[in-house]
Amino acid sequence: MSEIATTATALEADVHTVRIESTNHDGSFHGKNVAPAKFAACAESGFAMADLLFGLDLGNAPTLGFAYPAWRGHLADLQFRPDLSTLVQWAPGVQSVIGDYWQPDGTPIGTCPRNLARAMVERLATRGFTATIAVEIEATLFQESVHEARAKGYRDLTPLGGSAGTAYNLAKSKDWVDYMSAVARRLEQIGIEWEAWSDEDAAGQVELNLVPADPISVCDNWARARQVMREVAFELGHTVTFMAKPTAGYGQASHVNLSLQRDGVNAFYAADGPSDTMRHAVAGLLATMRGATSVMLPQITSFRRLVDLSGPPTTVTWGIANKTTAVRAVVGHPKYSRLEYRVPGADANLYLAVATILAGVIAGIDGKLEPADPISDMAWCAPDLERLPDTITKAADALESDLILREQLGDEFVDYWVGTRRWEWMQFHTTGGDPFAELSEWESTRYFEFP
Amino acid sequence: MTETTIGPATRGADAVGGVDIRIEDDASPIVRLIARTITDSLRADSSLLPAGLHGAIAIRSHDTPQAATITLADGAIAVSGGVLVEPDLDITVDLNQFFAPVGEPAGAPEFLGVATALLSPPLPDWKTAAVSFWDKARSVPGIPDMLVAVVEGPDGVEQVVAGEGETHYVIAGPPDLLAAVFTGAVDLLAALSTGLVGVRGTLSQLSVLVGASWKVRYDV
Repeated sequence: MSEIATTATALEADVHTVRIESTNHDGSFHGKNVAPAKFAACAESGFAMADLLFGLDLGNAPTLGFAYPAWRGHLADLQFRPDLSTLVQWAPGVQSVIGDYWQPDGTPIGTCPRNLARAMVERLATRGFTATIAVEIEATLFQESVHEARAKGYRDLTPLGGSAGTAYNLAKSKDWVDYMSAVARRLEQIGIEWEAWSDEDAAGQVELNLVPADPISVCDNWARARQVMREVAFELGHTVTFMAKPTAGYGQASHVNLSLQRDGVNAFYAADGPSDTMRHAVAGLLATMRGATSVMLPQITSFRRLVDLSGPPTTVTWGIANKTTAVRAVVGHPKYSRLEYRVPGADANLYLAVATILAGVIAGIDGKLEPADPISDMAWCAPDLERLPDTITKAADALESDLILREQLGDEFVDYWVGTRRWEWMQFHTTGGDPFAELSEWESTRYFEFP
Repeated sequence: MTETTIGPATRGADAVGGVDIRIEDDASPIVRLIARTITDSLRADSSLLPAGLHGAIAIRSHDTPQAATITLADGAIAVSGGVLVEPDLDITVDLNQFFAPVGEPAGAPEFLGVATALLSPPLPDWKTAAVSFWDKARSVPGIPDMLVAVVEGPDGVEQVVAGEGETHYVIAGPPDLLAAVFTGAVDLLAALSTGLVGVRGTLSQLSVLVGASWKVRYDV
């Protein structure tokens, strides 16, 4: 069956709107609502979307300060091409479809997060591996509606479910339970499988676990699950944020679990510990970790989380069953042997995070790299361990000079990303951010609702 | 916990006029701006720093939380982010108006003259500034081959062409403002927002020119 025929079949008679969806580089969920006839007419040729999708910062100003790739023109049109395998019934009368961005000549846009993630998945496949990933979605819920939150500048909000913040706490008020139950039901209606949800460390904080799957599906589900969480919050009169640190207290992460399969067998498993493939993958992740931090911790606030003893990793380290390190290896199980990459914040774009993680894994496997010994002690506060870059500029510098990630992800992405991060740094300092505040109003305004 | 790693000012530039000017690693824009401005001032007049003067001068932005401390000690100048000590002089300034004071400075008067002198480098003529800007901007990726700086004065239209090649970029405006942009005294985007400066080129070229303006203004 042709794609067009599939489209016609997919678009049921009672559909009045098709929402086309994607994330931009910052991870914001973007798209258009189109009429079914328009969707059917353009599903194959693509939809014109202005390049400002990748050209604006989270404050809606054009990002400047660096050389643009050739596809950036004067608000030039890019082609959004829907991936019809993602077409779902979002709500009564509304279907949604995720897609990617291409130049009119068919060249993929090098900064398109989904394109980049898919390219790494395909590159991994040429090595004979398929990847399975899982992501932990952490978010903070507030009692107030988004309108009230906006009116208060996103400050001094009331955590939903009570002010007690202890992980796994079941003694939550019913409004918190009702919210997460509604999210779970909505995910089921859309067809997104979830595994668990629970209280996280901070007051109002929740962790949602989606079912592990292939990287692109999980990234698509991640983007949609966050949209669901926002929509449910709106409907119930509450607020949700994926900001790295929505209050001066706890931050929130987006850990990525990864396993590789070859011929249907977990390539990370060995009876006596990490397999050769796992060790090579770890070595690649460590070799690229400082540069990768720019992608994993994308915003100014992301770096405020990097405090020893507070949860996030602070060092370029790995360990077996050691959650104080940046990469935790789970070994010794034929099915569950995996790596947990613990650097990403909740504000990371998962497509880009996964692309960058896979880039490191591929480099490690290709080069048969060997990692340093795993850390068996606590990796926080150690005077002799290499630290992660702890500011947006240090991380951007590290990525700019990372030859491995340049080779894997491409100069176009690296240069564009680094340019946007330096713009972010300049905007923060010169338009109202305060580096000496626990959390400045500028950050709340910029990051609470987006990405 | 801060966004910027605040450390001691330890990264020294080559001594300028016998004065060692230091900024912290990963310095913020205001720190870089102040250090670059002081460097320009001392290059023009190495006698601006009185021998034996010790103290701290706080510089605060009038419209943003940006703040920095200039520490004078033993013939060296260190610039650090924030104001973490009790300064001898506390000044609030307009960072986009040549460090013009906003309100009354507080503190020891003997530091006011020094601060004013250190933060007021002489402005070269616009033609010299344009050529100098282009020399410094050559290393910025994507920079056009030529800069055409244009002013309209009492004698009609004048222009300076710096560089040569196939691509060019035009910046036009009053001579003093152009000189200020080309030396980094005024931010290019801020100058554009006044309507007094105009540019002719592509959006991508403007983006690169903004990067070049950061290079001269903030020494990044």
